[in-house]
Amino acid sequence: MVAANAAATTRPHYGGTLRIELRASVASLDPREIPGDRVQAAAATKIYALVYDRLVTLDEHGQPAAALATSWEYDGAFKRWQLRLRPNVKFHDGAPLVPEVVAEWWNAWHGPDQTASASGDTVTIQAGKAVPELLMELAEGPRFVFHVGSDGVVSGTGPFRVTEWQTGRRLTLAANEDYWGGRPFLDGVSIELGVSSAQQMIDFELGQADLVELEPAQVRRATQGGRKVWSSSPVEILALVIDAKSSAVSDARVRQALGQVIDRAAIANVLLQRQGEPAGSLLPQWLSGYAFLFETAANVEQARKTVSDLSPAPGPITLAYDGTDALARTVAERVALNARDAGLTVQTVVAGASGITDVRLVRLRLGSVDAARALEALVKAMGEQLTLPAGAAGDPEQLYAAERGVLESGRVIPLAYVTDTVGLGPQVRNWLPLRWGEWRLPDVWLDPSTGESRTSSSSPSGTPR
Amino acid sequence: MSFRIKLLLIFAVTVAAAVGLVAWGVSTTTRRAFERLDEQRTAALVAQFQREFAARGEEVVRKVSGIADAEATTRMAIELSSQKADPSAYLDDATGLAKSYQLNFLELAGNDGARISSAQWPARFGYKNEWVTAEKNWNAQGAFLRREELPDNVALALTAVRTVPVGGKNLYIIGGARLNKGFLASLVLPAGMRALLYSNLEPAFVAEALTDASGPVKQAERLQPLVDAVRKSSPGSPPIVQTLTWTTDPASAETFHAIPLRGRRDELLGVLLVGSSRHDLVTLSQTIRNLALGVGGGAMALCLILGWWVSARVTRPLEQLAAGARAVAAGDWTTRVETRGRDEVGQLAGAFNEMIRQLAEQRERLVQVERVAAWRELARRLAHELKNPLFPLQITVENLQRAREGSPEQFDEVFRESTAALRAELANLNAIVGRFSDFARMPTPHLQNVDMNEAVRAAVRLFEPQFSAVGRPPITTEFFLTPVLPEIQADPELLHRALQNLVLNAMDAMAAGGTLTLRTQAHDSVVRVEVSDTGAGLTREECERLFTPYYTSKQHGTGLGLAIVQSVVSDHGGKISVESEPGHGTTFRIELPVVPPAPAAESSDAKV
Repeated sequence: MVAANAAATTRPHYGGTLRIELRASVASLDPREIPGDRVQAAAATKIYALVYDRLVTLDEHGQPAAALATSWEYDGAFKRWQLRLRPNVKFHDGAPLVPEVVAEWWNAWHGPDQTASASGDTVTIQAGKAVPELLMELAEGPRFVFHVGSDGVVSGTGPFRVTEWQTGRRLTLAANEDYWGGRPFLDGVSIELGVSSAQQMIDFELGQADLVELEPAQVRRATQGGRKVWSSSPVEILALVIDAKSSAVSDARVRQALGQVIDRAAIANVLLQRQGEPAGSLLPQWLSGYAFLFETAANVEQARKTVSDLSPAPGPITLAYDGTDALARTVAERVALNARDAGLTVQTVVAGASGITDVRLVRLRLGSVDAARALEALVKAMGEQLTLPAGAAGDPEQLYAAERGVLESGRVIPLAYVTDTVGLGPQVRNWLPLRWGEWRLPDVWLDPSTGESRTSSSSPSGTPR
Repeated sequence: MSFRIKLLLIFAVTVAAAVGLVAWGVSTTTRRAFERLDEQRTAALVAQFQREFAARGEEVVRKVSGIADAEATTRMAIELSSQKADPSAYLDDATGLAKSYQLNFLELAGNDGARISSAQWPARFGYKNEWVTAEKNWNAQGAFLRREELPDNVALALTAVRTVPVGGKNLYIIGGARLNKGFLASLVLPAGMRALLYSNLEPAFVAEALTDASGPVKQAERLQPLVDAVRKSSPGSPPIVQTLTWTTDPASAETFHAIPLRGRRDELLGVLLVGSSRHDLVTLSQTIRNLALGVGGGAMALCLILGWWVSARVTRPLEQLAAGARAVAAGDWTTRVETRGRDEVGQLAGAFNEMIRQLAEQRERLVQVERVAAWRELARRLAHELKNPLFPLQITVENLQRAREGSPEQFDEVFRESTAALRAELANLNAIVGRFSDFARMPTPHLQNVDMNEAVRAAVRLFEPQFSAVGRPPITTEFFLTPVLPEIQADPELLHRALQNLVLNAMDAMAAGGTLTLRTQAHDSVVRVEVSDTGAGLTREECERLFTPYYTSKQHGTGLGLAIVQSVVSDHGGKISVESEPGHGTTFRIELPVVPPAPAAESSDAKV
């Protein structure tokens, strides 16, 4: 990671508009409509976090921290939760954040097994069964608190409010002067949506964007240009998922040979331009703590011997990848090349273009900063079954055993972890996102002394933190 | 077949052959001209392809040299030559350079040939290009054709290689332009021609790998034999030519010249197919054929009309001649044909008429001569026949007259003897007169089924005692009778009389003995009987007069025997002939129909 707070000693400066460009094209600002696509969902979550707040947030260690809820209590059975709301919080339409609104919001999300009720400054959630991870659920994913006004407009309590929304193309936000966490340093945020990586790079180099998403291949160019680059901890995983119905890879030895022959280091170092790590497990080291126990080095000789011992010789294997993801295509082609070294024939096809595929190359995002929840989500997303034993969430050994069990089936072959990488303009200061890539734009400010004078400073009308 | 039809056929065949020959000649000349033109166009297109190939190659060399000479490339080579070099940092450089220099393929390879960056297959970094390190002096080499392996297929590339040597290590720049439909589109093709490129080098034919300027070729699999033939050919072999018809329409035919495209080591890398449509040729050939058919048909119709008219003019006098000849044959000697004009046909008609006139006159004269001769012969025979009995009568009468002068006893005795002699001679005269009378009124045949073999045996049986009579040289009989003969409708008595006369005639001819041979045969509803002797035979003149009544070659004979035979045979609708040669015997041959013709039967019925 490159520390972007080189100018942290400079005094914060209010004002300016942060120009952001994203590849995804978010179709709606309604937090109830989370896109299914991985890239769009990540972008939508980032945008929603600017406009809406959660009841609970995560601190830099991934632990629940106060947000709209300032404190919470629960019974021993984890069925009754009481959350005390932050006082004097208003939605962007001026409506106050009161327990009744929150209870209504909650009940709209959940069925009768989890009901919320308001009482004083507290919201009480009564669940039919134990929900010990309620705080993590509230802190992650699309649990943004909103309020639908009489005009049907959805309002949030986030640090920025919407001033212009061109569906799927452009979003302009202004600082929420009444933000409970203090007025953001930025006057506004301008987000261009659906901008290609190449265009983002051009705008970034021309100084027409302050924050862009960088592809691995663009990182070296950006750094050579003296730009600031920030990478998160690995938050995505590239893996091969075997189709259970495929006959081409039904033999475990074929799957084993395929796993052995892949040069993961080359994928991480060259294709990902070191913006990733070789993956031998599903959870990255920073999250599980035991990832180093899984082998990532290629063993071509062993794979070749395994294949040569097979009789009859294995047939061609079809590997499907996401056609919209250039990195996925390159990785798939590399896997096919590596497989050829072992005597396996792998044909790459765009997912959906061919009716039958034997193997899928998937690129999945970690669903949680909690290892157990993340593992369960990944395994489920890969179409496999995983039932963690009670207490596994806090026990790395049980978690390790469960993950090894999944991988030893050979139906999932991890390839590499991928980071989120962004390029930061020279004016951007105090860029302190969480390690898993969650932005903290209210803390960011723009240094007018760097670069061209394109913003006018303004006096903060809110309370500086 | 009539003469008129023959004439028409000759006219028709002549016209058809003439039109056909002209059509064939024009068609052949046209086809050869087209084929020459086609060869010239193909050669021009191949030359154009080679020029374009060379120009593209020079362009590729220029671009690759430009990359190699660029400052950034030199800097890259310097960085890569260091021990701490990180080749992964250049992963996408080839892609950017390829776009900048408009190259379809570009790879940067390290000193060991390992790919550092590949525009066409980025994932292939680290894999070695073994061939590139085998050559020492790439910078002096031009572009060459190369098989470029891609993630999902294989392409043909015009490739050039340049090296950037730094610190004893080479950075290889391998650039290429795809030989594809875009390349084909750059060729200026004459109308009706197209260029196809087959760029797959796998053992199996891949239809999708065959493309023309507009993309994949339809029905590409039909060109597989041509591609396979090129694959089997050796370097230096002449181009392989094949004509395909794409649809049932002959005008869809297209002739392909297959030209192998080879790499640096003469390995076959692709096939250029130059297609030349035969549409114009086929259309022209069809037009010529249709024109020939039309002209031929019209000429045939005109020929038939004119031929009919001409042949009618020619054959009508001939038909009249034929009718006249038939009339003459039927006995109408007054027949004459019409003479028109003074040409050969008119002269022929005149000659015919003159011939008929002269023949009629000669016939009349001949009849008169024969009639006189017959009367003379009859008079001679009558005189001869009557003279014999008359002389005894005269002697007897004279004896009687002399006996009157003698004694009554002598007279009585002479009278008795004389009356007996007179009676005998009168009887003889009466017999002679009776035979003539019999001949004059031959009986009408009474037809009934007759076994000819049995009739022959019966006739011979009658004379068998005389054949071996004492004091007479013996006559031997031989029978060659066909066992199964159809019975004929005949009068058995008349038939027996005729056969009896023939046997008797043969016996008379063999006074010194001999062999009498009798044969019967059946052929086409006709029964044939042959009676042969081994006698002295007859002269030609005798044969000609043999059946004339009252003619005989014998000392004692009325000359009516064979005339009676001829009369019987004629009354049965048959015919009789004779073959004889002096010293070699004589054979009489009778042919009788199984069923006599109607006139004989009607005549018979009427007389009954």
